[in-house]
Amino acid sequence: MRDKSLTHQGPRQDRSGAIWLIQAFSGLLLVALLLLHMVAHHFIVEGGLREFRQVVDYASHPAIFAITIIFLIVVTVHTVLGLRAILIDLRPSLAARRSIDWLLLAIGVAIIIYGIWLEFIIARL
Amino acid sequence: MPEATVPFKIFRYKQGQNAGHYDTFDVPIDEDTTVLVALQTIRRDQDSTLMLRHSCHHASCGTCAMLVNGREELPCVVNVLDLRSSPVVVEPLRNIPLVSDLVVDMTDFYARVNPADRPYVRHSEFLPWAQTPDGIDSYSRFENCIECGACVSACPISGTDPDYYGPAALAAAWRVVEEPRGRQPQQALNWVDNEKGCWRCHVAFECTEVCPSGVDPGGKIMALRGELSKQKLRGLFGFGRR
Amino acid sequence: MQETQDLESRGPVRARRPLTAWFDVRRDRLGSWAFALNRLTALGLTLYLFIHMAVLYLLAQGESRWDSFILVVRSPLFLALDVVLIFGILFHGLNGIRVSLVGMGIGVRNHRRLFWILSAIGLVLLLVSAWLVFTI
Repeated sequence: MRDKSLTHQGPRQDRSGAIWLIQAFSGLLLVALLLLHMVAHHFIVEGGLREFRQVVDYASHPAIFAITIIFLIVVTVHTVLGLRAILIDLRPSLAARRSIDWLLLAIGVAIIIYGIWLEFIIARL
Repeated sequence: MPEATVPFKIFRYKQGQNAGHYDTFDVPIDEDTTVLVALQTIRRDQDSTLMLRHSCHHASCGTCAMLVNGREELPCVVNVLDLRSSPVVVEPLRNIPLVSDLVVDMTDFYARVNPADRPYVRHSEFLPWAQTPDGIDSYSRFENCIECGACVSACPISGTDPDYYGPAALAAAWRVVEEPRGRQPQQALNWVDNEKGCWRCHVAFECTEVCPSGVDPGGKIMALRGELSKQKLRGLFGFGRR
Repeated sequence: MQETQDLESRGPVRARRPLTAWFDVRRDRLGSWAFALNRLTALGLTLYLFIHMAVLYLLAQGESRWDSFILVVRSPLFLALDVVLIFGILFHGLNGIRVSLVGMGIGVRNHRRLFWILSAIGLVLLLVSAWLVFTI
């Protein structure tokens, strides 16, 4: 009879635990960053940031600039990992899973590069 | 004397058919009739081809688990009149391959639970003051899980991926960590530390909601995660993995 | 994969289809509703993130483009969509806090109470936000 005990199960650990922790902590961080984002955009200036000049001046402030980039990276990581979890639950084939991982990585990197590029453009306006 | 006649709408499927269908049977019911007894009455008096599994009739064996009005139940302890429904809809468990009518193939379920290598007995927390007879150190009792499969039927991820270990197997693994009884807790943790294991759960807690035996598989999956999270964070910050 | 094929060759499996399973919200099952809504809001917020980042490019195109955009999004329809967005953010964020804490072994026994407490906080924040959206 096949030995079914744990000692004979062989190694099965993968990165999913680390990914779950990154997802959880990036999510918790996002709650704080989003709160900051909303308060800064809607309550610091009366009526919220709407005027072109106000928005540009706000985005160009060094501290806001840095926080926005951190926000961009965290939200992208959380989004990409979340999409991955949903796509994996659709039971893709092994080959499709590899493509999904690369595609999501490319999307994530593209969003971050685009976002940083846009930040620099806006800051120079 | 029967108190009422209650219609039972029952899922039917036989090997080789493409899909299942429902048949309705009127069953005489008295105040003590359980859903399982009603199904046995149908089998005896109306349709001997109705397939169902059962054994103990008192919620100890877990053999008869099925869906009653869309909810995972042990029909042996569900009183028909208490349901206050007409018809009573009876279906086989979800997410487990069908054999026939209300019978599902538990082979994979058992194959998933066995590797956890959980002992079948545990330290008994009941009657802590009771004196033990000579030669007996402490009382043991059977584990809570009766391996009925209700948790797998209710779990959205077991409904998504057949390779997911499922709530019962993961809960069994946590019992090894919680009370090793000679097993290696770290081996149990390593076994579940992957995408098919405890990280796949999406915290819907449906398993805990439907468990007829108080196992709380959802809580145990979270306990596995909590323990593994601690280990991983300790490893990350240089305190050693274990 | 062999295991899956064997399993499915033994007989059909009721409801083993991802979308059916995710949105199997039978009756009063809180956890299933939370899970299904978490998925829906996740997809909605992802779509919003892409739109939001595309729209910010209008800033780079100059003041007139930006001002005409602001005029459009001040319409009642867009303000109502803002409230839908805030609902999505609040639900996903607050439910995410619950899932993260419970997943790290914190408050596991009280996950239902945690859900209702966070829902109450979310409802208050949603009502206040909706009022602010339409009055500021």
